[in-house]
Amino acid sequence: MLDEPYRWLEAVNNRRDYIEDQLRGGSPVVGLKYDDGLLLVTISRGQRKIFEVHDRIALSAIGHSADVERLRMMATDTASVQGFQSSVDDVTLHRLTHFVLGPTIKQSFEAIFGSAYIIKMLLAELGVQGGGEGFISLNYDGTVQANQHSEVIGGSHDAEIAMQNYLSAAETSELPLDSALQLALETWVVGWELGVQQTDADSDGEENAHSEPATDKAQLHEVLREELKSGEIEGAVLEASRRSNNKFRLLASDEISAAVTDWL
Amino acid sequence: MTNYKGDFLDLLKAQNCQIQLDLPATPAAGGTLSSIQETEGTTVLAVRYKDGVLIGGDRRATAGNVVMYDRAEKLLQIDEHSVLAIAGSPATAYEMARVLEHSFQYFRRSQLQELSLEGKLRTLSRLIRENLPMTLQGIGGVIPIFAIYDLLSDDENGGKIFFYDALGAHFESADFATSGSGSVWIRGILFYQNRWGDKPLADMDEQEATITVLRLLDAAAEYDSATSGYNPKSNIYPTVKTITKDGIHNLSVERLREVYAESVETTYAR
Repeated sequence: MLDEPYRWLEAVNNRRDYIEDQLRGGSPVVGLKYDDGLLLVTISRGQRKIFEVHDRIALSAIGHSADVERLRMMATDTASVQGFQSSVDDVTLHRLTHFVLGPTIKQSFEAIFGSAYIIKMLLAELGVQGGGEGFISLNYDGTVQANQHSEVIGGSHDAEIAMQNYLSAAETSELPLDSALQLALETWVVGWELGVQQTDADSDGEENAHSEPATDKAQLHEVLREELKSGEIEGAVLEASRRSNNKFRLLASDEISAAVTDWL
Repeated sequence: MTNYKGDFLDLLKAQNCQIQLDLPATPAAGGTLSSIQETEGTTVLAVRYKDGVLIGGDRRATAGNVVMYDRAEKLLQIDEHSVLAIAGSPATAYEMARVLEHSFQYFRRSQLQELSLEGKLRTLSRLIRENLPMTLQGIGGVIPIFAIYDLLSDDENGGKIFFYDALGAHFESADFATSGSGSVWIRGILFYQNRWGDKPLADMDEQEATITVLRLLDAAAEYDSATSGYNPKSNIYPTVKTITKDGIHNLSVERLREVYAESVETTYAR
């Protein structure tokens, strides 16, 4: 039955709907450049979402935790072996996403008798002397999108667009870490709010075309305060000025509260 | 393959990356023992001082009575708080250090926690043990010192020094450790200094510990042809590093020059 092209397309589309449903409630991740490197921020509930992959590469994801774990290990294993066999300088994000993660995700997405990865990933790479620096996101079907300055993943495509719009309206160049963190958190709320509205609308069986992303700062902060009662800010940086070869660093909780307390 | 243990050596094996030469433990029948003259490292020492561990090494690499290289780096930083000081074959030692560095990082990245001190020591033990066939063949033997600052230590001074034997057993040394061909000349001096000197090594500050280590390297160079002290012709100094709770610090050449001129070159006036 599935060898007919139409059936196959239909099966793939069903899969698309299924995975999108599963991802909708995911907590977005915002990736942003700041004056000393790259920042990844999200709000997590108990489970860590941002990881170190290699000296200059960080990974975050939304989706099923088992899938996140499997692909995170694949990325870490590949980068570690490559870095050991030749040189850590030969490990690049482009190769990791385009040659390893992308094809793997696509293959399982289209193998309709097997299980697909329920995942969206956002990876960041700190370039050597500014070259090759930026973010790459991977969709659940294996498509790859690169952006030098900022990148987001969220529960739905609409949420991602709203977040990108919010970011492009803001001043993002040469931000110090605390301002970048604040901007990232506001962007997170924009994506999260939209995701919640859409999930509500879905469960009510209504059309969700009317949902508009919130952009009023006071309102965003209000939602953020509410969300922080049950969630925790998780942030990590790839820090150019870090003395070690290893540029990844999880932000300490006192560092985060120092940046957020008076502002919120 | 999923690697649940975070073991980098297993990962390399699974990916068919061979890190050690597959030599039989004894030469083939009718064969001769190695006829290549291998490059070797010479004197390294570590002392536990007030703030942690101070570790020093000379710069000479020799093959038989040929000086191969006069700028060899024998103190290899493994992570932010540990250093491997190597004596023996640099070919094996550098590779060992590289495997070690990648192993610790791989464990942290894959298991989302730092490898414990015991885990780090075991990894090095395993590398040395797996190198045994080479050592028995008479090439590629390495007897390192592993110095680390243990941030989780109950002791106020987390500096710790471990030394190994050729089979990979590790021993913690309370005050100091030495390795390499020049070490026989200075081990006794260290014992004497620690017991009857002006103050025990553990009470010395960085300056005093640096003077002690530079003087001992000079003493080793005096008696061991395979150890270089300060080389005035090319202006090469031994390397000295400190490992404290703030991490690893390399003493600059300027600083070493100063200490050397003040406290090593001066002797009793005659």
